[in-house]
Amino acid sequence: MAETFRIARAAHLEALEDFRAFIKVHCAGKNGINDEVLYDLQLAVDEACTNIITHGYNDMDPGSIILDLEFARDQVLITITDFGHSFEPGNAPTPDIHAPIEERKESGFGIFFIQQSVDHMDYKVTEDGNKLILTKILK
Amino acid sequence: MLKYFRIKQQPDKVVPDLGAISLSMLERDATLPFTIRQLNNLPEAIKHRLYRGLVPSSLLTRFGIDPIQWRGANKEMLVFIKADPETEKVLITAQSTSDPNDEFFALELSDNSLNGIELNLIMLNDPTAPRYSIDYNEEGQPTLFGTLRRNLKAEEDAKQAGLAPGQVRAGLNASRMVFEHIEAFLAMLGHRAYFLEPLTYASAWVFERRGFAYVRGHKLMDDIHREFQTGGALFKGLGGGSAFRKLDQASTVRGRAWAIHDGILDVLDVRWDKIRMVKQIGRHAGVETFPKAIY
Repeated sequence: MAETFRIARAAHLEALEDFRAFIKVHCAGKNGINDEVLYDLQLAVDEACTNIITHGYNDMDPGSIILDLEFARDQVLITITDFGHSFEPGNAPTPDIHAPIEERKESGFGIFFIQQSVDHMDYKVTEDGNKLILTKILK
Repeated sequence: MLKYFRIKQQPDKVVPDLGAISLSMLERDATLPFTIRQLNNLPEAIKHRLYRGLVPSSLLTRFGIDPIQWRGANKEMLVFIKADPETEKVLITAQSTSDPNDEFFALELSDNSLNGIELNLIMLNDPTAPRYSIDYNEEGQPTLFGTLRRNLKAEEDAKQAGLAPGQVRAGLNASRMVFEHIEAFLAMLGHRAYFLEPLTYASAWVFERRGFAYVRGHKLMDDIHREFQTGGALFKGLGGGSAFRKLDQASTVRGRAWAIHDGILDVLDVRWDKIRMVKQIGRHAGVETFPKAIY
């Protein structure tokens, strides 16, 4: 059976530190999780939650972000649930990270960083919240 | 894999607008949620069978009410249901005697604009406890539990008796059981969540303990907790002559709730009117905005 942990915080930038610490505490000593994997997980959650805080709860008194951390045999699953405005996938191209800095667009890098940090990303809008599910395969 | 997100302008409905519940609909897909409106359009006897699941039997028998027939010892009807066809609300009330003042249970659920479920009202009063008329002012006008007008004398007495704002009587200590019934009922309908807007700070805290998270207002609850700490803006607003703003109120849920009811949030230039909470069926969110709270 998978081991799961949960934390809920207000959608505010101060919560990011709590989420990072939560991931660190629960990843400590887990097989297959080295500093690099830990950093990837923290970065992905940081970027995703920043997106929710800045855009998802834009124009509203911020509600909750619930972070579920699930350890299975060969993977870590992170589900981030919020109840703000949902997002929808668009067809914008992946940002060109090789372009000169003055030509780069300001937005779009958060999702790119998440994609680089985890092996799979899924997004669902459900009755019980918007759910971003991040999967990191442990080698 | 998603490459890019943008804000969705128009949320999708939880349930499509479907017609009456039919046998073929029941046979086809057990996960498709039903709305309250669909239930209300069912024949009376079926509707009653289904809605009976919302009222804990042990709560009824505690007051000598038959949990199936909903009648008291003298065969008088003591549980009432209002679920008219073509409406999207169901209200169930129960009283311990034929006197409506002895109402001990009231529950209203409704569909919202996305066909999700709203818990509009939940009231669990001990009918044997003293009653405080905070719901009517001294001129006999309804106060909407002190939100529209106030009966300061009755509120002061209620506060002295250990009640929270909005309470006319002490509670029944049965909210956990009632929420379990609501969840079982909504799971039966196929819903995954329900929503509410807490009337007071104290009720928001109770709902947190029952596993609710916030759609709106989590940060406000954090701000309230922080500002009630010694030296905080709300803490500084306590003291003085008001019976609803005593210094010791900062350290309890009820104390804070009374001060907020009395308008202390003006200090932060915010109002208690935009809080919205959500409960995921079968899951506890783990929100705790007043750690180690004393009620």
